[in-house]
Amino acid sequence: MKAVFIVFNQANTERVEYMLDRLEIRGFTWWENVKGRGSETGEPRMGTHTWPEMNSAVVTIVSDEKVQVLLEKIKKLDEVNKEVGVKAFVWEISQMV
Amino acid sequence: MSIYKSAVNKPITTLMIFAAIIVVGIYSLMQIPIDLYPEMNPPYISVMTTYPGANASDIETNITKTIEDALNTVDNLKEITSVSSDNLSIVNLEFEWEANLDEASNDIRDAVDRIFDYLPEGCDRPFIFKFNTSMMPIVFYAITADESYPGLAKIIEEKIINPLNRINGIGSISMIGAPKRMIYVDVDPQRLDAYNLTIEQIGNVITAENLNMPSGNVKMGKMDYQLRIEGELSESREISDIVVGNYGGNPVYIHDIAQVQDSIKDLSLDEKINGQSGIRMFVMKQSGANTVKIAKQVHKKLAVLEKDLPPDIKIQQILDTSTFIKDSVSNLSETLMWALIFVVLVVLFFLGRWRATFIIVLTIPISLIVAFIYLFITDSSVNVISLTSLSIAIGMVVDDAIVVLENITKHIERGSSPREAAIYATNEVWLSVIVTTLVIVAVFMPLTLVSGMTGVLFKELGWIVTITVVTSTMAAISLTPMLASKLLRLKAKTENRKKFSYENTIEKILNKLDAFYEKTIRWALHCKRYVMIIALVLFISSLFLFKYVGTDFMPESDESRIMASVELQTGLRVEETMKVTRQLEQIIHDRYPEVTILSASSGSDDEGGIFSLFSQTGSNMINLMMRLTSIEERDRSVWDIANDLRKQMDQFAEIINYNVTTSSSGMGGTSNTVDIEIFGYDFDITNKLAAEVKGKIEKIEGAQDVQISRKADKPELQIVLDKGKLAENGLNSAMVSANIRNRVDGLTASRFREEGDEYDIVVRFKEEFRNSISDLEQITIMTPTGQQIKLKELGEVKEYWGPPNIERKRKERVVTVSVKPVGVSLGELAKKINTELESIDFPQEVVVNVGGAYEDQVESFMDLGLLLIISLVLVFLVMASQFESFAMPFIIMFSIPFAFTGVILALFFTNTTLSVIAALGAVLLVGIVVKNGIVLVDYINLMRDRGYDLNEAIALSGKSRLRPVLMTAMTTILGMLPLAMSTGEGSELWSPMGITVIGGLVFSTLVTLVIVPVVYAIFSRKGERDKKQALRKRFVFMDR
Repeated sequence: MKAVFIVFNQANTERVEYMLDRLEIRGFTWWENVKGRGSETGEPRMGTHTWPEMNSAVVTIVSDEKVQVLLEKIKKLDEVNKEVGVKAFVWEISQMV
Repeated sequence: MSIYKSAVNKPITTLMIFAAIIVVGIYSLMQIPIDLYPEMNPPYISVMTTYPGANASDIETNITKTIEDALNTVDNLKEITSVSSDNLSIVNLEFEWEANLDEASNDIRDAVDRIFDYLPEGCDRPFIFKFNTSMMPIVFYAITADESYPGLAKIIEEKIINPLNRINGIGSISMIGAPKRMIYVDVDPQRLDAYNLTIEQIGNVITAENLNMPSGNVKMGKMDYQLRIEGELSESREISDIVVGNYGGNPVYIHDIAQVQDSIKDLSLDEKINGQSGIRMFVMKQSGANTVKIAKQVHKKLAVLEKDLPPDIKIQQILDTSTFIKDSVSNLSETLMWALIFVVLVVLFFLGRWRATFIIVLTIPISLIVAFIYLFITDSSVNVISLTSLSIAIGMVVDDAIVVLENITKHIERGSSPREAAIYATNEVWLSVIVTTLVIVAVFMPLTLVSGMTGVLFKELGWIVTITVVTSTMAAISLTPMLASKLLRLKAKTENRKKFSYENTIEKILNKLDAFYEKTIRWALHCKRYVMIIALVLFISSLFLFKYVGTDFMPESDESRIMASVELQTGLRVEETMKVTRQLEQIIHDRYPEVTILSASSGSDDEGGIFSLFSQTGSNMINLMMRLTSIEERDRSVWDIANDLRKQMDQFAEIINYNVTTSSSGMGGTSNTVDIEIFGYDFDITNKLAAEVKGKIEKIEGAQDVQISRKADKPELQIVLDKGKLAENGLNSAMVSANIRNRVDGLTASRFREEGDEYDIVVRFKEEFRNSISDLEQITIMTPTGQQIKLKELGEVKEYWGPPNIERKRKERVVTVSVKPVGVSLGELAKKINTELESIDFPQEVVVNVGGAYEDQVESFMDLGLLLIISLVLVFLVMASQFESFAMPFIIMFSIPFAFTGVILALFFTNTTLSVIAALGAVLLVGIVVKNGIVLVDYINLMRDRGYDLNEAIALSGKSRLRPVLMTAMTTILGMLPLAMSTGEGSELWSPMGITVIGGLVFSTLVTLVIVPVVYAIFSRKGERDKKQALRKRFVFMDR
């Protein structure tokens, strides 16, 4: 089992929702209106007058074989327009209750 | 949940809400009446008191003064003026515009009640008269007749006025100049003396004979009969056969001593319409009724009624105030339509997309329609003010929608789905959209607080613009995102575009413009000092130009009518006055083919009633009313014709004075004149001064129609009775004066009844026995003992000169010299007059004041100045809180002076005077200009925060914001263009505002684009520039 942390521009909300449904990923935790900025090129999303846009974030715990499919789809989503922005990070899950 | 999110998520609900607004708006539009101006009740109340037999100075001391003193303490009173003339005292009270006139008239009634006991015995109870604009006649007709002329009054009364009165909304219909049937018993005084009879005896006999009397009931058998004596005359000729006395055993009949005439009343007023004898009929509406609707109904009904009249009676319309209203309103509606077209074209030009244009333009009808709901709720009307307000607003209501839509488009082009783009893009800009609207509101809201007459006009303007702009903002953050989410699509990027596609033509030009502007900014930032110096020189030199721009109160408009009142020598007989009238008619007929209807009245009509309040009357007065063809059909303006008419009248030796007016002075009754008021008690001194002032002013170029309000002394005949001789004969003054009155003026003995109408039977001396001083001295008066005595034995008849009227203002006697500016502006004329006045040596007891429309002008400009300050302060407040900075508002407000430079240039080059309306335009500019600055500065701030260097940030934001700034400026400019260019009816009033706004906006937009970035750069030098350094200092712990 692995945890996938997806951070994305709010403008991608509908697409991320659809993606999770399509891949039959049922469980996730969703944060709306989170701030952040990319390490190199990513524009800040601060919700201020200067940087008005905001991100949302999703953590979902999926089986190992699904991780690759998910990352592929996220890559495709990112390629629609790099400026809008979506990122995904994967963790190992050692225990669950 | 935010408003825009709900709107996008519930598109149908949103659509329904706006549909509901449109339905209510259309319903309101159908209900609102059409009028020229918003209803205003001029705050004037008059107190009229009659005291028969007193001359002007008696009236002044006994009545006017007492009433003035009593009324001086009434609340909200602004000014008190009075006119005392023979028999009549009129005290006019002017209140503040906000005053409650019902309360005021109650106060006046109380005050009058308190002092009524102190007024002389014989005077009537003072009559309180509240003036109302709806009392002004709305339609005038001229009715002419040949054979039917003697019976005209009765025919018109029965066949026209009575049926017309049934129309809903008509206040009253009156006529003047109507011939009145009278029965005169003209007595030969010599025969009267011979038969030892008096006028009074004849009168009493006629009264006694012309009588119907019920005499009780008689019961006969089963019946109860009423008993009556029917003595009433059935024909006027029966009067001749009445026996009035007995002389030497023979009966004396009336025909023995007098001649009975059943004719029309003696001539005192002569009405001629296009040279034919006739009468004038005028229609007044009830207050709040729809002028246009009533006028239309009256015309329609009249056309039907006219068919029943004898064929020689012709009815022509002289004046219809509704045509001017209709034309002005349709003219403005046309202007509004052109504005709409221009705005659509501008939006399409900059966006190049039909759907986006549609979404933006949709906010226009929605915002405008809400204005109609406001008008409906406040019982106002579709009028010149409300339509002009809409013209002003039309260019501004699209601005918010443009900003929102632009951001949504940006998001869609980045690949977001339209729905999400709509929500998130609106989220980013909704606050700044509201702030820019607040700036506009900050300028227009204070308009609703202005007091005075200008306040009444501006109130509606302030509210309408505020309401429409706020509505447009609401629509921009709800309807616009909703429609965008439904209608906008991501444009597929096609490779092979058509040669003349939007991208290949307009967009290329716009891109080049952007690049050119970026270069300009970079250059300007490089040589800031020169740019600032050039700007300063421009501004200061424009201030010098300002000297050549005249000032005015209200622009006058060509209403296609001329009115002239002409004064001949005082005391002239009507017959003589008429001769001059005929000559004037001839001149007008020959020289001005533009005149379609000419109505001339000579002399006065004692039955004119309330109408005589509006025009001067007297046997020596001529009143001319002319209607001209419509503006398009003639080359000469009313002012040209009026000027020529003045020249013609100058050549008449008989004409002492004339006054030619071209406007209906509809706005609260102020005419466009400079009044010089000379206060002083002594008639001789003030008369002399007034004449001197008049002489000097007449030499000033452009001073026309110089009038002295105090009329020339009037010749009077006074009968000075010897009290001792009266007592010897057992007479007193009252008895003698009553006797003389009955002989000269006539004694109304009784009324002759025919077909339900009553006609006076007047007994008097034959005319040839009462038209010279010696005739008057020969009048026989019967003493109580039955002795005959001639008037010359009781006193003598003297010729005497007396002032016909005494005017007072602020409880002091005043003479007003009024001057009409022709070809020069009001302000300039007032200035010249002031310098002339300095050369006159005024005695110490005389006070001089320059007032009239000039006074109103100064007052209104002061109000507008105050308004400008309030607007500036409010705009500053809004901006300072938006930017959280004191410097930013200053940077933006740097563009305001250049707006005024633009205004001055525009006024100078179009040769327009600075009227209140034009000045209002200048005040409005503050909001519109500042809005452009905000857009620019806000973006520079943003770029700075994103870490760009100062100059780079400025240049980049300039490039990026050029289109939105140009777009909002262009929509406003082109929205006002039709207003500035229009030439139709009533346009003179409003085009100055269009000219000022356009001039100011064009110039200030150009300057803003260069000056604001430069000033920004200058202000940012200290502190602002090196933000990193400043921040580092705050967190020293890192470097320790």
